[in-house]
Amino acid sequence: MEQKPIKKVLVANRGEIAIRIMRSCREMGIDTVAVFSDADRTAMHVRYANEAYNIGPAPSSESYLSMEKIIATAKLSGADAIHPGYGFLSENSKFARRCREEGLLFIGPSPESIEMMGDKISARKKMIAAGVPVVPGTTEKVTSEAEAARYIKEIGLPVMIKASAGGGGKGMRLVKKESQIASSLRAARSEAKTAFGDDALYIEKYVDSPHHIEFQILSDKYGNTVHLFERECSVQRRHQKVVEETPSPIMTPEIRERMGAYAVAAANACQYEGAGTIEFIVDDKLNFYFLEMNTRLQVEHPITERVVGVDLVKEQIRIAEGFELPFKQEDLKQSGHAIECRIYAEDTDNNFMPNPGTITHITEPFGFGVRCDGYVYEGYTIPIYYDSLISKLIVWGRTREDAIERMRRALYEYKITGIKTTIRFLERIMDTPDFRNGQYNTHFIEKNSDFLLADGICDRKCEDMAMIATFAQYISRLEDSKKANAAPSAKKETNWKRQLRKFTSRI
Amino acid sequence: MELELKVNNRNAIVKEVKREGNILTLSVDDELYEIDIVKVSNQEFSILYQGRSFNVEVIENKEPKHFHVNTLYFKFDVEVLDNESRYRQSRMQSKQVLNDNTIRSPMPGKVVRVFVKPGDIVEAGQPLIVLSAMKMESEFKAGQRGIVKEVPVKEGETVDNDQLLVVIDDIKEK
Repeated sequence: MEQKPIKKVLVANRGEIAIRIMRSCREMGIDTVAVFSDADRTAMHVRYANEAYNIGPAPSSESYLSMEKIIATAKLSGADAIHPGYGFLSENSKFARRCREEGLLFIGPSPESIEMMGDKISARKKMIAAGVPVVPGTTEKVTSEAEAARYIKEIGLPVMIKASAGGGGKGMRLVKKESQIASSLRAARSEAKTAFGDDALYIEKYVDSPHHIEFQILSDKYGNTVHLFERECSVQRRHQKVVEETPSPIMTPEIRERMGAYAVAAANACQYEGAGTIEFIVDDKLNFYFLEMNTRLQVEHPITERVVGVDLVKEQIRIAEGFELPFKQEDLKQSGHAIECRIYAEDTDNNFMPNPGTITHITEPFGFGVRCDGYVYEGYTIPIYYDSLISKLIVWGRTREDAIERMRRALYEYKITGIKTTIRFLERIMDTPDFRNGQYNTHFIEKNSDFLLADGICDRKCEDMAMIATFAQYISRLEDSKKANAAPSAKKETNWKRQLRKFTSRI
Repeated sequence: MELELKVNNRNAIVKEVKREGNILTLSVDDELYEIDIVKVSNQEFSILYQGRSFNVEVIENKEPKHFHVNTLYFKFDVEVLDNESRYRQSRMQSKQVLNDNTIRSPMPGKVVRVFVKPGDIVEAGQPLIVLSAMKMESEFKAGQRGIVKEVPVKEGETVDNDQLLVVIDDIKEK
């Protein structure tokens, strides 16, 4: 196979991931093309890229999800490759196929791999065939209530009813009692139909006290696959990840090796190419089961990068260019501990309601072991049309304790004013005993919600300082406006001006 | 110079007593402070008080005389109270007593569905309007029984934070 270096990449995405991808492209000397909707004209990814093109009105369906507009823009700009980021079209096999048809390199796996793993039912079947342990459950779609009841009896309650075309926590229902079966089936089916256009369902045993642990893999076009170890993602709110860390505090070297081997087997079973993630669900006894495979780069990929020392976007590009992986499994090691906190524009006092608005001030955290992947800036107005993730704060420490203290410090330094963010909520997570002890699973936020949402007690002196500073600022502003309104002194005519007028009147 | 300020639930009078270079002596109600204060950037102050160092960001809110104040560990909303804002506050309070049945948008968004029109009679808990923002849809219901007076927005319209969506009048019982 020959290597075909990429010269120009169109990033079919927005926000922090678009910039993150473009950074690696710049380092590789690859030109970048941004696409933006009407709402994103002033977005950072547009300002950062080499070229930028408008692809339509604000709603995603008319812009970032418009396959034909994106492909047309790629051709117009002369891009030879498209990086889809995460979300949007990244796991859309039809888009991957269209790119292939148009001679554009899709930086990701083949349409066939995407389809195989995108259909959760077929993915389960493939994994069973490859010998990868899966959560006990159905391997065919469930068509009737009677069938569902029969399966559930076999599997044993509690169970999770899930959408085959699903993901992101939608089209899922937990069933604990027999009486809930019928209504849960109906609800899941209707939600699946609305969210994914496909109401096919399957049923899995519900794993108690579950941990969500995923493995990063990289596969090249030559059949080489490696895993880059695990990420612990159990701090979740309504199935949305909030904090991720690596290594997982509950992992042992032996389990890690076994899970890693299965992750590699899973990737090989679908002839994978590129970067991907195998998600496992793990119980308290460290029994692990394949949950699903994400055929794209994930939001939390930076913590793997930090601990393994690999730039995953660069590896994706090199794989797409036809290069062999530059390392073997035995070359990869985890060094130190990394934690990521996702910062959302949400009001934690108001049920995490999204809080778009204009950023009036930002102070970012710096220092050893701190990485901040964001895209907002002072004066920027967050659009209402997209999700509310505004940045990712990633820290590294030599030990898990160091990393937690560093994350606390960085969160306190991180000040975003003008909108409400989840920064304070994240500070509380770093203080929660369950998190600090590494004893937590996906019920963590629910279990500790009182502690997490409690107000800090500030001392009176601090409140007084806030008032004193406001006093000083107000007075300073009054003085500024007095100066601005001062009557302008009579303009003195300069010799130069007089000469100029004499000169011009002569013409 | 003297100002009345409001932070959280507390009102206080801040008064400058003496200034000598960076050293400012002032009172916050009856507490006297001698501090070293320097403005270090457009919106930031460094305050040294009894050896403690406070780095305070004071950022203007879009409403005049409202500030977001950040210290290392805390955030505050501080308001400078003068006659104008005291007047506005008292007017807002009286309005609330008369009519509590207005729906205002809690965030910028888009009107997805409007279920009612002026003249409709609504019951408590009846859905009135659905707003969409950041991939989430929120349904707003009537707080109590009433008659729809005004619906100043329509489906498909984009709205700002705190924009009036539905106004409901009390039904005058016979």
